[in-house]
Amino acid sequence: MADGALSPGVNLEAFSQAIAAIQALRSSVTRVFDCLKDGMRNKETLEGREKGFMAAFQESLHSVSRDLGELERLSTLVGKPSENHPLHNSGLLSLDPVQDKTPLYSQLLQAYKWSNKLQYHAGLASGLLNQQSLKRSANQMGVSAKRRPKAQPTTLVLPPQYVDDVINRIDRMFPEMSIQLSRPNGTSAMLLVTLGKVLKVIVVMRSLFIDRTIVKGYNENVYTEDGKLDIWSKSNYQVFQKVTDHATTALLHYQLPQMPDVVVRSFMTWLRSYIKLFQAPCQRCGKFLQDGLPPTWRDFRTLEAFHDTCRQ
Amino acid sequence: MGVTCVSQVPVAEGKSVQQTVELLARRLEALGADKQGTFGVDCETYHTAGAIGTQGQTGKLMYVMHNSEYPLSCFALFENGPCLVADANFDTLMVKLKGFFQNAKANKIESRGTRYQYCDFLVKLGTVTMGPSARGISVEVEYCPCVIANDCWNLLMEFMQSFMGSHTPGIPSVFGAKHDSVYSPGDTMVQYMELFNKIRKQQQVPVAGIR
Repeated sequence: MADGALSPGVNLEAFSQAIAAIQALRSSVTRVFDCLKDGMRNKETLEGREKGFMAAFQESLHSVSRDLGELERLSTLVGKPSENHPLHNSGLLSLDPVQDKTPLYSQLLQAYKWSNKLQYHAGLASGLLNQQSLKRSANQMGVSAKRRPKAQPTTLVLPPQYVDDVINRIDRMFPEMSIQLSRPNGTSAMLLVTLGKVLKVIVVMRSLFIDRTIVKGYNENVYTEDGKLDIWSKSNYQVFQKVTDHATTALLHYQLPQMPDVVVRSFMTWLRSYIKLFQAPCQRCGKFLQDGLPPTWRDFRTLEAFHDTCRQ
Repeated sequence: MGVTCVSQVPVAEGKSVQQTVELLARRLEALGADKQGTFGVDCETYHTAGAIGTQGQTGKLMYVMHNSEYPLSCFALFENGPCLVADANFDTLMVKLKGFFQNAKANKIESRGTRYQYCDFLVKLGTVTMGPSARGISVEVEYCPCVIANDCWNLLMEFMQSFMGSHTPGIPSVFGAKHDSVYSPGDTMVQYMELFNKIRKQQQVPVAGIR
């Protein structure tokens, strides 16, 4: 029974040969039926046609019997799998099931295979993602608590007073930009930045890191019905929806894990360039409108205005 | 309320008012605008009656206007004076003030038409009618996100040029007075009032048959 086998009782080589033999058998049976369906057409006399047909038919039947004999020979070589298959407790589910009412074992197997595949793919994805560092904070992951040096500076836990001070200083930096800070939901600061009479920006922070921004028009309502800052609803205007997307890009662009206050300052400087959102033409095409939108993109270094489709 | 510019488009050579409106509508739809219902702006004129004793000076004209964009409001304005934004019940109040303000019913003028939306722009193409006759075409273009008039004039003009071509108007006079204050619906009504006055003074458009 065991003949160069990997698992006890199953001859794998004979197994693969048997599968090939099944395929050959299938193709020869198909040929028989095709022959019956198509008949013979290329002989002139009826007798000639009949003879040719009989010859072809016999030949295909012979090939069928040959393949069947080969398959039978191989199947005797394959052998039975061992009875001691280590299925443990889950294998007991497979004994005497009522398949249509309780397909437990097959579902269990499927779930197991699926979760294995998921784990494998997740491993691949994390390997690829780790190649690009995406962490904006300075915390180190994976260092166990025992080995972590005690005086590790972490910019994720800053005293709220420090955050308030930084924001107040930035508020005083630009005259046309005013920043209001509030903490309605725990320790994360929520800023309402009003830029001239052009737009309002709601910035949700996590200690000194900017988490999310929403840009809305000057005349839009930024509060919910209870008077709290509405941090979820989007602007009604397409131009401000576009600027919100750009602001999100900006907060991901300006990254400096060790000095988050510089990051906030650069972000606010970038945001301030939107004071001329409706006045500045695009630096590339010279026009004001592109698909009904003014130049909404501000270059990160030069702060020049571009249309979203015109930017390099 | 975004910055709005109200202007008049002259009737095309050899075409009727309706055909010109249709021409503009087609150009707008070719740009990609969507039709979004109808609009209506109307204006009634009231003379201040001499009963108050105004020492012989001609009574001032007061205009009471309605805008379908603000269905619950009524706008009352003097020619160079302030604009009052009131509740819709103001009309009944005017009836009660019959002794002081007399309605010049023949001067009622209105503009009705379709509303189009293109990205953040709102365009209203209307036929101005006085009584039974069509007198002209009004085009109102609003850029909703901006509230400072002088900021987005160039943007508005570029948009208007794309479908109005050479009939693009110059900067409205109300913009000059606004400086940096927030644009309000009253300013739109002032523009409509000026437009209606201009159309009233124009010669009646020859009513051409449908070609």
